[in-house]
Amino acid sequence: MTLETEYMPDADRIMSVSLGPQHPGAGHFRIKLWLDGDYVVRAEPDAGYVHRGEEKMGEYRNYTQNVPHLERPVILDSSNILLPYALGVDELMSNKIPARAQYLRVIMSETNRIISHMYFLAIQGLFLGHTTLITWCMGDRDFWIDFAERIAGARVTFAYIIPGGVRNDIPSFAIDKGLKLCDWFDKRMDEYEKIFFQNPMVHQRSDGIGVLSREDAIAYGATGTVARASGLAVDVRKDEPYSSYDDFEFKTPVMTQGDVYARSYVALLDMREAVKIIRQALKRLPPGPVRLKLGPQPRVPAGEVYSRTEGARGEMSYYIVSDGSPRPYRLKIGVPSAKNLRVLPVLLKNVHIADIPPIYWGLNYWPVEADR
Amino acid sequence: MVVAQQQKSGAFQVLVGKIDDVLQYAIGDPMRYLANWGRLYSLWPVHLETACCSVEIGAAAGSRFDMERFGALEAFGSLRQCDLLIVMGTVTRKLAPRLKLVYDQMAEPKWVIAMGACSITGGLYFDSYNVLRGIDDVIPVDVYVPGCPPRAEAFLQGLVLLQEKIRRAPSLSGR
Repeated sequence: MTLETEYMPDADRIMSVSLGPQHPGAGHFRIKLWLDGDYVVRAEPDAGYVHRGEEKMGEYRNYTQNVPHLERPVILDSSNILLPYALGVDELMSNKIPARAQYLRVIMSETNRIISHMYFLAIQGLFLGHTTLITWCMGDRDFWIDFAERIAGARVTFAYIIPGGVRNDIPSFAIDKGLKLCDWFDKRMDEYEKIFFQNPMVHQRSDGIGVLSREDAIAYGATGTVARASGLAVDVRKDEPYSSYDDFEFKTPVMTQGDVYARSYVALLDMREAVKIIRQALKRLPPGPVRLKLGPQPRVPAGEVYSRTEGARGEMSYYIVSDGSPRPYRLKIGVPSAKNLRVLPVLLKNVHIADIPPIYWGLNYWPVEADR
Repeated sequence: MVVAQQQKSGAFQVLVGKIDDVLQYAIGDPMRYLANWGRLYSLWPVHLETACCSVEIGAAAGSRFDMERFGALEAFGSLRQCDLLIVMGTVTRKLAPRLKLVYDQMAEPKWVIAMGACSITGGLYFDSYNVLRGIDDVIPVDVYVPGCPPRAEAFLQGLVLLQEKIRRAPSLSGR
């Protein structure tokens, strides 16, 4: 149905506007908007500006060569996108991963969750007009990047979690630094609550905006922070524990409002749980090897596998088909941003233009990840 | 003692170079020097994120690296007011016409920083079906910052190199 037939009575009132790809409120992504004055009548997301053909590239690189380019789509969360890939290949090869490697995978993936959520909160603060939060979050995010850099040796793209374990062991000084960082960050998050989440200005700008009901969250298949903010307790770490997640005590934070505020606050609660997991894992790190010797070109037996984990944005999944050759026959990446994008046209109905950036970024949408 | 002397002579040469610069560029053509000096400390970047390198731009604009102390503001504002286009990573076939459109809309003088391996040669995605092998065919580039992604420090070095280029621009128009 075209817009003209839909709004025939005064079709000339409706104005179509393109938001992005060059717009401070939407990077590498475009939203086609139909506006009636200050209200959005209809919104249509236009993704695909960063489609780089990851899945096709995966078919002509071998299982080891696939590691670096697979973490690029979600550079904020690079360990969490590699973990399901490594789990899937391990399952195909029936590798027994050493306990220390499993714990290091958990530490790295939770550190990445914090790094990703800090970036999310920084930009959310910017879109809600709270400049303090962007400077605080960007500054504190760098301390977590430093911690990850001490373990893995790079700033954002670690290529640390590989099939057969992790690339290298954690240096002993990094354990002490990590524990100190956890203690400091716990206190720091209380300050975040005071300055941002208990701020009346932030409440006014985000309460009741972009509400996603629990039924809609189920119907549209929302995952991660979006689903948990709408009262849906989905967490792959709890539902299907992988990589010894059942050793740790943590909760799945759930909120029921389903608005922009709840989606931001769930990210903070997620970070509190992530700090708890990192502290437990660092304290109880078992001894032993961290990596199986697979050789430069591992032979993977024929078969197919579906593996999934909980990334920072939600459920991250891979479907790998192997025909016994050194390269995957098919590599399908299921990313949370693509799942949550379906919610955006629903949320952008009868909202003000000024509310578009917080709603859009509140979905924790990362275009590079959705386009793959 | 020898080392100290060497350092001294090095500093001396730098000083001679600075004086030479001033004689050649400032006193030789004061209008050009002043115009370009005014330009180089107030660079306005366009907010066009093309791929994942934008994360490191975020870090560079953040509180640890603080891009503003070098005279480049955070990426906001109208295209007509902007004079610096930072291409943050991969340019796909869908984005390339938009990139050209954004570049054409900017007013002269304007400069381009190609950030990341993808925007220089295609990088890790050189054999992908949807990725341009470098942006040189689309728009002219002034400074290349290699890395995948470049660290925030590397980007800041690229910014300083660009400022040096603007300072020594041969004409009053800044190019």
